[in-house]
Amino acid sequence: MSLQNWQEHKRPFAAIAGAPILWLALFFIVPMAIVWAYSFGENSGAADIVISGTLHNYKRAIEALYLSIFFKSLAVAALVTLICLIVGFPVAMAITFASDKWRPWLLLGVMLPFWTNLLIRTYALMTVLGGNGYANKALGALWGSASWLRTLVGLQPLEVWTPVQLLYNNFAVVLGLVYVHLPFMVLPLYSALDRLDRSLIEASLDLGAGHLRTLSRIVMPLAAPGIFAGIMITLIPALGAYLTPDLMGGTDSQMIANVIERQFKRANDWPFGAALSFMLIYAMFALVALQSLRGRRKPAQVH
Amino acid sequence: MALLSRRPVAPLEYTRKAWMRLWIAGVMVFLYAPLLVLMVFSFNDSKRNVVWRGFTLKYYEKALNNDGLIEALVNSLTIAALATVFSVVLGAMAGLMLWRFRFPFKGAVEGALSLPIIVPEICMGVAMLIFFAKVQWPVGLPWPLNLSAITIAHITFCFPFVALVVRSRMASFNREQEEAAKDLGASEWATFRDILLPHMKPGLIAGALLAFTLSLDDFVITFFTSGPDTVTFPVKVYSMVRFSVTPEVNAASTILILLTIALTAVALKLQGVKAIADAH
Amino acid sequence: MTDIKRSSSSLRMGRRSLLQSMGVAAVGISFAGLAGCGKTESGAAGKIAATGEEPKLNFYNWDTYIGETTLGDFKGASGIDVNMTLFASNDELFAKLRAGNPGYDVIVPSNDFVERMSAADMIVPLDHAQIPNMKNIDQSFIDVAYDPGRKFSMPYTWLTLGIGYRKSKVKAKPDSWKVLFDSDEYKGRIAVLSEAGDMFRLYGKYLGKSVNALTPADIQTISALMEKQKPFIKAFHEDNGQDLLLKGEVDLVLEYNGDIAQIMAEDEDIDFVLPKEGSQLNSDTLCIPKGAPHPKNAHALINYLLDAEVDKKITETILYPTPNAAAKALMPDDYKNNPVIFPSADQLAKCEYAKYRPDMQPLYEEAFTRVRAS
Repeated sequence: MSLQNWQEHKRPFAAIAGAPILWLALFFIVPMAIVWAYSFGENSGAADIVISGTLHNYKRAIEALYLSIFFKSLAVAALVTLICLIVGFPVAMAITFASDKWRPWLLLGVMLPFWTNLLIRTYALMTVLGGNGYANKALGALWGSASWLRTLVGLQPLEVWTPVQLLYNNFAVVLGLVYVHLPFMVLPLYSALDRLDRSLIEASLDLGAGHLRTLSRIVMPLAAPGIFAGIMITLIPALGAYLTPDLMGGTDSQMIANVIERQFKRANDWPFGAALSFMLIYAMFALVALQSLRGRRKPAQVH
Repeated sequence: MALLSRRPVAPLEYTRKAWMRLWIAGVMVFLYAPLLVLMVFSFNDSKRNVVWRGFTLKYYEKALNNDGLIEALVNSLTIAALATVFSVVLGAMAGLMLWRFRFPFKGAVEGALSLPIIVPEICMGVAMLIFFAKVQWPVGLPWPLNLSAITIAHITFCFPFVALVVRSRMASFNREQEEAAKDLGASEWATFRDILLPHMKPGLIAGALLAFTLSLDDFVITFFTSGPDTVTFPVKVYSMVRFSVTPEVNAASTILILLTIALTAVALKLQGVKAIADAH
Repeated sequence: MTDIKRSSSSLRMGRRSLLQSMGVAAVGISFAGLAGCGKTESGAAGKIAATGEEPKLNFYNWDTYIGETTLGDFKGASGIDVNMTLFASNDELFAKLRAGNPGYDVIVPSNDFVERMSAADMIVPLDHAQIPNMKNIDQSFIDVAYDPGRKFSMPYTWLTLGIGYRKSKVKAKPDSWKVLFDSDEYKGRIAVLSEAGDMFRLYGKYLGKSVNALTPADIQTISALMEKQKPFIKAFHEDNGQDLLLKGEVDLVLEYNGDIAQIMAEDEDIDFVLPKEGSQLNSDTLCIPKGAPHPKNAHALINYLLDAEVDKKITETILYPTPNAAAKALMPDDYKNNPVIFPSADQLAKCEYAKYRPDMQPLYEEAFTRVRAS
């Protein structure tokens, strides 16, 4: 596959490139440019910012404190993405290979919870996970029946059940983020897996490869662009999550987005908040640039 | 059908395999258990979601009579619908552009397109706040024009998601089909409509669902672009649950969930399951 | 909130709601119909209220912070239709109004934000001639440090931070900040605020300092204390501590007295104590933001809310301490004599209002971020 040169196809190119680029420039680049300018400014008074060209905000942003929070957030987001991928891949496959009657319902089944407000959903999840919540009650009941079974066969009963701490720690944050971001993984996977050339899978299975082997050798590589899109769409918003760590996290669960949010709100330090945000943007920009460089080389090898 | 049911599970019928069904069931329990709790507590005769104090329907009455809440819901759905339509169009264009063309500064354009995904919400919210204040975007317009600022902001952060999904979808497109169509004399537009668009469709569906979800649930950016008469559902809910979620909010959410299911059922009926099946 | 509007004309509203819920079902297909039924009331063009302005007002308030029928009654009295929308924190209010006022007429910032917003020229001076009910306000609330002579704000409620606790789970009355700030006695069973400024100031109180006299050196000392205490704390809550307490997630929580008073009505095992070292006072106030489209109506609403009977009804609903002496006099004894809502005078003597200190706020934030990251 070779890319078309825009100069040889000026009209189709203009037809599809004009609108998105214009929109992005007007309603995104321009507003962001103002905030970018703020990152080189300082507060003067309660609501005024003087753009003085200072680098002070960036110096603060690369202090060990903020870098360590950033890397911790990145680790959490990566873990969340990985779990979403593992959990979501079979779901996407099920949707892809479901009968036509079932496919829309499965899609809806995955999406429906996400049309309920994030905050309400988070509170609902917290009700389930709480110390006196249903998850704990279910576990307690299991424990109780295990204990009872032991007494049946003449063993000592188990100790009394103590509720597990499912909330207010880093585990809760990861679980909450997986809950929130799962469809962001499933949708791109589904869109990539759909219309996958099924004959390839059938051939692989016919030739004696197991399902797992077929999955790793045939399906995964074919779905790679979708997996990549899914990772992007899950990882980055997970990195920007602030509500879940705020509500479900423990005393050490703050993420970089919480810190940024506080600069724009409580600390009333917009220049520093802007600098922190743009550090994130610079980092991601570098990553995306790197990826697109590699992406450009790859197709050349394949074909 | 008869053929299928007579045969044992075919290799690709993953949905008929026990482990797959178990997995899906597990995921569904994970996704729906909190919602179920939410729905149950919407009937709870207490101001808080803590202890069950008896059955009541009064919060449904309250939610349905809460004009502010209903108005916010209507605003949210309107914005989400508009944002979805525009995002899908813009996103599909952007996705196609990146997939198909080589042009100067492509890397920069690509990076810029992924920025709305990357930027922390609060930062973009503040950017939008300042932007609309600086250009003196008109306020106090009649409905639905007063939603324009919020809708523009939503389109801006939604369409890059669509672009990403569409582009990844197009990666599996077999270019020869297009060449063949053109060789047979099809115009650029006809090729697009008959060859490219059908292939793009699952990407568009996925992108539309993403955009709708993102728009419907956005709080931060909406908060900074809303005014006194443009309250959306999340903005309303966030200010209402400062003192924990009330059963009234639960009731409203339950109505929304049931409504979504009903609407989808109707949509599937109307379009005919067959038509959807054909599209795939 | 808008249930208020409804009670005055329930029949018509009922139909309107029905129309609107049908509108929801149409998922925004019938834009025109909705616009028609959703906006007729506020679009009463041409009509003029007694104040000489169009009969509309945009009120930006906290949730559950007004009486059941207050706004409907106000409409009956003045003809002005109040559109109340809600914000959830002072920070949000401030951030949103910083770039300009998108159309709010009356806002409800807390005391330190009155200082901040008047310093930033974001609120306008009030015309006391238009607020005769100012006479109802307790004299001790007139000359306050954050707004001398009540130039910019009228007090609406006041509140104080203290410890809410579950009686059956504590050995003794936790009447010192020590149990929350410097002790492992209740480890894993306490939750404190996530607001950096409040936390540092209250630690200051614990150490016997004024909340307004903290220095960068104090921040060092306090940070060390906080880091030491952190393992014993279950969560930094977002001002929803009363919920954690009610659910039994924690047994001691740092919260506002009004919030705990509300849940004490639901659970008899809960009580509130103002620690002996003293605490921090807050007051929520009524202000008019710069650029308000209906300043005369805004004055009329503020005056109305300060009426003795009106504020009595509000207070009955929200159960917060009121600075309105005339309204308090009308309240029943179990409110007036409630030690949770009205701590004794000698307890209050040890409490202070926090000043707005632009130099310290970023330091508090950074230090607290460091504590949380440690």
